[in-house]
Amino acid sequence: MASIASVCRTSSRGIGRQLRNHASSRAFTASAASPAAHNFTMPAMSPTMTEGNISSWKVKEGDKFSAGDVLLEIETDKAQMDVEAQDDGQMAKIMQGDGSKAVKVGARIGVLADSGDDLSTLEIPPEDSAPSKSEESSKPPPPEKKESSPSPPKQDSAPSKPSPSSSGASGTPQKQNYPLYPSVQHLLHTNGLSKSDADTIPATGPNGRLLKGDVLAHLGHINKSAPADVSSRITKLSHLDLSNIKLAAPKEKPKEEKAAADGKKEKAAKKSPEVKNVALPIRLTAVLECQKRLQDTLGVTLPLSEFIARAVDLANEELPRTKGPATADELFDSLVGVKNVYTSSGKTSRGGFVPEINTPGLLAAAPMKAKQSGKEDIMDVLAGGKTKKVASTRATKNSMATAMAENVFSVNAKSGEEKRARVFLERVKSVLEVEPGRLVL
Amino acid sequence: MLSRTVPRCAARPTALLRPLRPHGAPVRPARCSIDRSRRGYASEAAEKDLVIIGGGVAGYVAAIKAGQSGLSVACIEKRGMLGGTCLNVGCIPSKSLLNNSHLYHQILHDTKQRGIEVGEVKLNLEQMMKAKETSVSGLTKGIEFLFKKNNVEYIKGTGAFADEHTINVNLIDGGETSVKAKNIIIATGSEATPFPGMTIDEEKIITSTGAIALKQVPKKMVVIGGGIIGLEMGSVWSRLGAEVTVVEFLGQIGGPGMDAEIAKQAQKLLGKQGMKFKLNTKVKSGEESGEAFKINVEAAKGGKEEAIDADVVLVAIGRRPYTAGLGLENIGIETDDKGRLVIDQEYRTKLPHIRVIGDCTFGPMLAHKAEEEAVAAVEFITKNYGHVNYGAIPSVMYTHPEVAWVGQNEQEVKASGVKYKVGTFPFSANSRAKTNLDTEGMVKFIADAETDRILGIHIIGPNAGEMIAEGTLALEYGASTEDVGRTSHAHPTLSEAFKEAAMATYGKAIHY
Repeated sequence: MASIASVCRTSSRGIGRQLRNHASSRAFTASAASPAAHNFTMPAMSPTMTEGNISSWKVKEGDKFSAGDVLLEIETDKAQMDVEAQDDGQMAKIMQGDGSKAVKVGARIGVLADSGDDLSTLEIPPEDSAPSKSEESSKPPPPEKKESSPSPPKQDSAPSKPSPSSSGASGTPQKQNYPLYPSVQHLLHTNGLSKSDADTIPATGPNGRLLKGDVLAHLGHINKSAPADVSSRITKLSHLDLSNIKLAAPKEKPKEEKAAADGKKEKAAKKSPEVKNVALPIRLTAVLECQKRLQDTLGVTLPLSEFIARAVDLANEELPRTKGPATADELFDSLVGVKNVYTSSGKTSRGGFVPEINTPGLLAAAPMKAKQSGKEDIMDVLAGGKTKKVASTRATKNSMATAMAENVFSVNAKSGEEKRARVFLERVKSVLEVEPGRLVL
Repeated sequence: MLSRTVPRCAARPTALLRPLRPHGAPVRPARCSIDRSRRGYASEAAEKDLVIIGGGVAGYVAAIKAGQSGLSVACIEKRGMLGGTCLNVGCIPSKSLLNNSHLYHQILHDTKQRGIEVGEVKLNLEQMMKAKETSVSGLTKGIEFLFKKNNVEYIKGTGAFADEHTINVNLIDGGETSVKAKNIIIATGSEATPFPGMTIDEEKIITSTGAIALKQVPKKMVVIGGGIIGLEMGSVWSRLGAEVTVVEFLGQIGGPGMDAEIAKQAQKLLGKQGMKFKLNTKVKSGEESGEAFKINVEAAKGGKEEAIDADVVLVAIGRRPYTAGLGLENIGIETDDKGRLVIDQEYRTKLPHIRVIGDCTFGPMLAHKAEEEAVAAVEFITKNYGHVNYGAIPSVMYTHPEVAWVGQNEQEVKASGVKYKVGTFPFSANSRAKTNLDTEGMVKFIADAETDRILGIHIIGPNAGEMIAEGTLALEYGASTEDVGRTSHAHPTLSEAFKEAAMATYGKAIHY
């Protein structure tokens, strides 16, 4: 049995290593991959914008905000604009304080976190790659700064005096790149304003378009705040109303299920109550003999798991079809075009059984085994969680004794599939007990 | 209990069944391990970028969009026909019946005064249904073609979550399969809400599904629910000769979204065509008496009971999200008290790789809303940003005259306390409507009193459904009524009424 166990350990160690690598790489790569915190960079408010000044932050460090809230006000040579949050979250850190001048587009100005994150333990991601290349063509930055990479701390320490405040709560003026609306054109002409004046009027329309109301407000015909008020009401209507969601009361679960709520394994098992366990004892003696013969004659050790895996494969062939087995293999076949499974309704189909192997006699022998193996604690193996800690290089011979005993192969079969499962197990048995050599030769 | 699982060796039967070597031939374990690893990669490739549950309007649009964006995508549909409720038993077949029944009705009652005298007019209901089926099957096959064109794998079966990334599919043709996916979109749609105490058999007690497939014209039909579906299907059978009574709990027809003034006019016009209305009326119960039914109703605010006879009862009290059998409990996705799946503004459930669009979540249950969400949801996956403007989603009722609107209605604007102005223009003053002898209805604009920005547009009249597109565009661009009024509209068209209503809002209409 130990040979199976050892194989298991190696493979699980491999997987474990992979997982660890994966996790660590996630932690150290650029923030984009990290779900927790991400850099908030200077946005380009227009296609031509290369840098901008931060007039003021509307949120403080630690403030939570929701999508659409204004995070900060940015000032460019053309206009003053609000930057809105794209998503719910909270402000983890502000890197470029109020009044920061000539911040390049793409430079980090702060760090955002998800609203549920704990800021005290949050890892601040490193700065993303250098700001976009468009900055190179921009006009020379203020003398105290270097060309390529702005250094946030320096600027942090020297916040300049607040920039001139914006023109009230209404929208911000913006160069009107599109043809002006007929009503706007008409108003401009009749009031002696030119096309270039339009660029200086705060615009509240979609994408900064100048609306009739904006011009009327500019001319003083209507309340200054009216266009912005309408705009904010309409913006609110443009989102799906997800406020006041009343969650459905969770369905009453059977009591036993609640009791089993500790431990994920148990939970998983309870979720599919119709699954039945079909078991069959199989002697692995023949396999071990065959394995030994191979080692003696060829000097090659073929792991026990290889025998079993091959036997399983063979046994899964052409099992009597039932409505049911979720076979990844069928899907695979359909994907590679081996055969069209979706339409084939033959009497047999490939099974997807993976047996679980238990050794009933092993429990009694456990203390002795533990001594033999030194560090290995059988309880750990049984618990199934710590096997990767156990040393991996164990000679197959050591486990002869355990493998001699009958091993119980069992599979979980959905209701209606028991017959299919039994056929599968009997095939595994016959292959392993009668002629294991054929599996490898 | 040396508990462990044997690593599953092979995925391909061909690799497994390679010829057995003669006795004594060298063993090559190395090759085996290579085989295994290769297989491992191969089965990993089976994981899709996106799997969509539901091939209705939301699902198939998302699938095509995802295919166009280069994602590997599969769409699971249990009906065996793509297009969902809308294409198979909803919008499309009902429009076929509405159009053809309108023609029939017009020939019977209207063409004589236009100088067309027709001999004996006979209804061939079977043929009318066939025409409907031709339209439906043509459209659904069209989607299957689009799936192939855009590399969407179409899995015919019922999907259920096995875990957060795996969906088991019970195939229509027998057997079962499972798909793994990085992203999943749930688009399972909705079903008609049943009326408590009445068992739907789709023959005598029907929903919209049965209403598009009746074998014969009923003598008396009761429609429970005076919303859009009830009025459209009521119209069809009323035109074909049924005596239709609509029972509505609320004080207006057309549902809560319709402008009250427009709803009143619609009720008047439909009433002229022969439909009867019982508003503010509650259906208490229904009893079967032989072939027919007795529907017991009483005034909503208490009053005397009354019984209405019916051969067929259409239950059209609304629709509810359909998520049964989806295995949501396996992955812990929440629903609200109305069964809608809980999402955020980017359509994500609490498992961020699973998104929900269309009727089974929030927002109006409209096919075009679902379509917009489908595109936005896929764009959230591929580009991290998508957009649907819920403030500019039009609604249309395809009766005759049609009713269409976009934005807020007058009662909503009034309730929000905003100062507003209203401009209307009747089709009776429109040249094209006059020449068509189809002059019932009007266009109504609601705009902000100060800024003149359009808040809502409501049309009742011929071709309202087509005309509302202009209103939607105006709303999307934040236009004022003056912007519409200063835009040229072809003469003579019905759309001139649209322009004149806009002019009437900020100034004065020319022709009224």
